[in-house]
Formats: sequence, structure tokens, C-alpha cells
Amino acid sequence: MTVVHDFTLEPLDWHPYVKTVELSQATPEQLDALKVTPSNTKVSAYVLVLAQEAETLAERTPLFNDIMYSEGGLSRGGRELGALAASFVNHCVYCAAVHANRYIQLEKRPEVVDEIYRSGLDADLPEYDQALFNFGVDLTAHPDNVGVYQFYHLREMGLDDLEILDLIHSVAIFGWANRLMHTLGEPHRKD
Amino acid sequence: MSEQTTFDVIDSVLGLGAGSELKALREKRDKLKALTQSSYLAALRPKEPRNFPYALRAAIAARMCGLWKVDELAAHYRGLLEQEGATPELGNVADAGWTPGDAPSRLTAILRHVDLVTLKPKAATRANIEALYAAGLDDRDIVTLAGLIAFVNYQILVVAGLKMLRDN
Repeated sequence: MTVVHDFTLEPLDWHPYVKTVELSQATPEQLDALKVTPSNTKVSAYVLVLAQEAETLAERTPLFNDIMYSEGGLSRGGRELGALAASFVNHCVYCAAVHANRYIQLEKRPEVVDEIYRSGLDADLPEYDQALFNFGVDLTAHPDNVGVYQFYHLREMGLDDLEILDLIHSVAIFGWANRLMHTLGEPHRKD
Repeated sequence: MSEQTTFDVIDSVLGLGAGSELKALREKRDKLKALTQSSYLAALRPKEPRNFPYALRAAIAARMCGLWKVDELAAHYRGLLEQEGATPELGNVADAGWTPGDAPSRLTAILRHVDLVTLKPKAATRANIEALYAAGLDDRDIVTLAGLIAFVNYQILVVAGLKMLRDN
């Protein structure tokens, strides 16, 4: 059981610092909130922590899924890149690993992820990916002062309003997810 | 539908009325928009506020918006605080420029956590959660606080991003 502090693409387990809800003792409201998670075979420790606030979890799960998986607009890969940019700024090692792997799976371009893992926030990427990544970094790191240049760069790359809206949400939902996952527990290497 | 279910905080703070292009764009993602608003209600006005009364939640939210200088949203939360019942102490909490003294207390521990996780989540460690337990918070309190901080930061990022679409 090794705690992981550095970014990695290896499979990780997330271990909470706080107690999880015991399924055998869950209230009807908690069970209802737990049901809507995409992984129906096994409920993760993360979701069992969040189930302590069932009312919030019941809204959050479908919101997360709609932001990352809705039809049309920004590509699935583009949304994963937004998630990855946020997770790198906020140093959420677990979120980064999950979404980097998902990006590779969807886009079949491991070199983009490799460069982000090598150079971090200074990653030198193909222009389209660079525009998305930089916008995500900027919005996450200082929402009070997002570079207008980053926004125009998205336009130059041909993103339309709906695609930009989808990118904003994919970055923002990881401003949420990172603040839970990175603060309420830590990743361990799978044994 | 009641006022509560049709009102949308983000449209309201950005001044998006009928005929607004950005409002129409947001409505292309109507499910997401509705779930963002229902998440707001779950974070700020849950059925069981337990150890985090509505007024304290509103004050903490106003503080986070102040930390990121998202003035429109901060003004909304200060208004909500007035509605829920402001006190001089909660007025201090809502003021991002105010920091509690060194005397250990539940409120001091909460605000330290709010400020850290809002501005520098990267720096958070297990020790920060231990500090909350030491100040008397229980497991659910810690999840409640984390959820409030995380939701409001999401909302701050959405508002900041939407302002770029509105103004450029």
C-alpha cells in the first residue's frame, strides 16, 4: 500500500480520510442517490463518502454525467482535456490518471498526454489541444483573471459557442471534483 | 412551477433576461443548467442543514466569491445572507478580507479550510482534515463543508467562463 504523490498513468485506488457510508446501514435517500452512479456493479469509496450528503450527491452524479457525456458540442476527448487541465493545476493525481487514460482511449493520441505528463502546465501541444489545455489551466488557476487571449485562441481554432460552453463546464466540474477527491482522501498504487 | 424552481442564480447574476443569446445558449444544455441550479439548492438550502445553518452557508459562499473577486456572485450571496439572518460574526465570515484570530475555534478551523481549498486546493493534505476533526467536526460535517466549497468553486468557474462568452 503506497501513497502516490506524483502524477502517474498507472491504475490507482482512492483511500478516504473520512468514514464512508456502510451500505447495510444506508438510508433510503442514500440508496437512491447511490443508484444513479454509472458503475452499477461496485460502489466506489469516493461515492460512499459523498453519500453522507445524499441530497447533494443525487444532483451531482447526473450533472457530472451530462457535462462529460452529453450529445453534440465539444468532443468527448476535448472534455477530457479540460478535466485534465484542471486536475493538473489542482494536483489531483487520481482525477488526472483516470481522465488521461480516458483521453488516450478516446483520441488514440497518447503523445498529447505524454507531453502533459512530461512538461505539466508548460506542455507544448498541437495547436488545437494547446488552446483547450491553456484555457482550462487559466480558468482553473485564476478565475478572477482569465486571459482574453486564451478565449480568442479557442475562437481561432474554430470552436463555436456550444463547444466553448461545454469546455467551460468540463473545466468547472473538475474545479468541483478535484476539491473533493484531492482533499478528502489520497491515491494508492494498486497492489 | 413555483418561483423557486424557475429562478436561476447564474442567469440572474449575469443579467441574462429573455432574448439574451447567452441564456439561449445555456438552454441548449437545459439538463445541465437545471442540475446546476438544483445543486445550488442542495448546497445552500438542503432539507437537513444539520450543523451548517443556511446563514453560515451563505456567508461562507460569499467569502469564497470574494476570494476570487467574482463580485456579481458575491453580491448574490451577501443578499442571501441578509435573507437567512445576518449577524456581525457572519458579516465577518462573508468578508474575504477578514481573517479570524489565532484562538482555536470551530469557526476558525472552518474558515482556514475554506480559504485553503478555494485558493490553493493543491496544497491540501490529510493534516487539514485532521484539523477539522480536532475542531469538533464529525465525518458528515467534513463532507458537508467539502461539498459546499466544491460546489461554489464550480459555480465561480462557470460564471467566470460565461462572462467571457457574454463579453467577447
